[in-house]
Amino acid sequence: MSAAIPVLPRPADRNQTDNLLELKGVRTHFFTRDGTVKAVDGVDFEIRHGQTLGVVGESGCGKSITALSVMRLIEKPGRTIAGDITLEGRDLLKLSAEEMREVRGNTISMIFQEPMTSLNPVYRCGDQVAEAVALHKKVSDKEAMSRAIDMFQQVGIADPKRRAQSYPHELSGGMRQRVMIAMALSTNPELLIADEPTTALDVTIQAQILELMKALREQNRMAIMLITHDLGVVAEMADEVVVMYAGKVMERASVTTIFEQPHHPYTQGLLASIPRLGEHRERLEVIKGTVPNPLNLPAGCLFKRRCPYAMPICNTPPPLRAIGPDHVSRCWLTPEGEPPSIGPDATPEVAEAAARELTVEVSA
Amino acid sequence: MDHVADIQLPVGASTAGPTSDADEVDLTPVRTFWQLVRQRFLQHRLAVIALVIMIVLVVLAIAVPIIAGEAWRKTNLKTIFLPPSLDAPLGTDGLGRNIFARLMQALQTSLLVGTLAVAIIVFLGATIGAIAGYVGGFVDNALMRLVDIVLSIPVFFLIIMLVAFFGGGDMRVIILAIGLTGWTLAARLVRAEFLHLRETDYVQAARALGASDLRIVVRHILPSAIAPLIVAATLGIADSVVAESTLSYLGFGINPPNASLGNMLSDAQEYLFRVPILIVYPAFTLILLVLAASFIGDGLRDAFDPRQRIEK
Repeated sequence: MSAAIPVLPRPADRNQTDNLLELKGVRTHFFTRDGTVKAVDGVDFEIRHGQTLGVVGESGCGKSITALSVMRLIEKPGRTIAGDITLEGRDLLKLSAEEMREVRGNTISMIFQEPMTSLNPVYRCGDQVAEAVALHKKVSDKEAMSRAIDMFQQVGIADPKRRAQSYPHELSGGMRQRVMIAMALSTNPELLIADEPTTALDVTIQAQILELMKALREQNRMAIMLITHDLGVVAEMADEVVVMYAGKVMERASVTTIFEQPHHPYTQGLLASIPRLGEHRERLEVIKGTVPNPLNLPAGCLFKRRCPYAMPICNTPPPLRAIGPDHVSRCWLTPEGEPPSIGPDATPEVAEAAARELTVEVSA
Repeated sequence: MDHVADIQLPVGASTAGPTSDADEVDLTPVRTFWQLVRQRFLQHRLAVIALVIMIVLVVLAIAVPIIAGEAWRKTNLKTIFLPPSLDAPLGTDGLGRNIFARLMQALQTSLLVGTLAVAIIVFLGATIGAIAGYVGGFVDNALMRLVDIVLSIPVFFLIIMLVAFFGGGDMRVIILAIGLTGWTLAARLVRAEFLHLRETDYVQAARALGASDLRIVVRHILPSAIAPLIVAATLGIADSVVAESTLSYLGFGINPPNASLGNMLSDAQEYLFRVPILIVYPAFTLILLVLAASFIGDGLRDAFDPRQRIEK
């Protein structure tokens, strides 16, 4: 369904042709007392071996829920009701609970936003990393511990032996995130899901952690799904970018395309709202309005109420369609950014939507 | 093991990055949780005294019956109501038995009943509370209604019924009866802890690492929920000892010739006006034991409370 994605240099020892992770039409809904929240509503993307995919969007757009859906860690009242999540040819949604446990932490690892609270306060850091190893590898306690100390070394913790004996409260935030990364990578996973790994850290530590993730990515040849709302982090880290809004993918393209030729008005809005160095402006650009209430999403395009280009056709939900090589966008605008023609030369999709639109107007 | 070892640092590559000052950690020794708890406990003067008394009582209850042997049950009608002597430090009772030896035997019974009943309480309370709190939803509701039901039963009559049904005088029945009715408070406390702890980030992180539910419950949540459980257990010992003594006093518990603080009280009642001192010994021992357990429980509760300041 999507346009071809440029082939990235991949390690020789990995399967060249297959995607590592493929999401197709994934829908995760939360059935609350007030109604159904469609937190993730038809998300498609794929991640290839060794590739870094940035997933960006505002708070509540479904980024984290997408990640948790992949891990199958959605809790009641949420449920992934449709779609396929395929990891190296295996549909994760069809695995038994036990098989899924074997995937978690082993093939896919995850690190979380809050390093301050993601470590168990009652265990020494080294023991926690060793536990992660012991959960998936048949090793003795001693081997697991030496592996943990080895990982501490790799994530740049000075004096790893001693720090392995520390309790989490004795470490700083950046240090704890390093421990989390050590834990996630101790089993040498194929895919690391990083859910806002730097949001809770101050800027200098952020840079260090990103550098560390980059270095480890090269070294371990793993893919990263990087969830963030920080476009700077995306520019720094990602090969490809998925822009999400209200549970749907709005645009997907390589990182250069997203930054140089954003197509979707939402992506343009996001980019315009980044302050730029050396530019004098009284106020920052903002995207007008707020994210629609997830219990009451607008009909048609989800972004239309905030979109500067909104037009009648936007009352029909736009499909995610190719607008260039390796570039898909969920918007009716033409690839050049012009309003679509609804005359005789209209594309079949637009013509159909326009026809529907006209009927609605007539019947109203 | 091969797989584990296959991440190798390329020559010259460093993932360490610059280690800034912000990443430096103060490596001065930090007091661990248990060190803090001990420190706070030691500040609680009553609790420390209670702990010393409890230790003395436990040592006596174990040592005296071993040294004195059968003295606690040997009746001798020629030596009734003797005053204290070297041989019988507290004198003899209406059947010529050595009161001190008998008292320590009774204390041993009480402590045994108390400890074993509390073991049942802790086991049941922790298991049921953990399941209710961790699983939640319908299971939680069902188990908490079970707690309500057990709480609504007049416990004492239930115990009397159980004892009457399974036969009095058997220590095991009494232990079971107390244990099976006493777990509700512990279950509620553990459930409350679990409700809170299962939502923590580190439990989520453990799940993301592929830990099983059992592992998460036992290894990641239970250690943090241990404080209220220890407090409930300590206070539970006091309750169980009182329950056992009451039962024995009423004749539903430990029956003579076996010794229990309760049946020593009821024995002494016969001579209440002739030899009133007889009732003082078991009563005082009982009060001492229960108070010690309660104060230790209080001290632990304060010691586990992180908001309690450490003075000095």
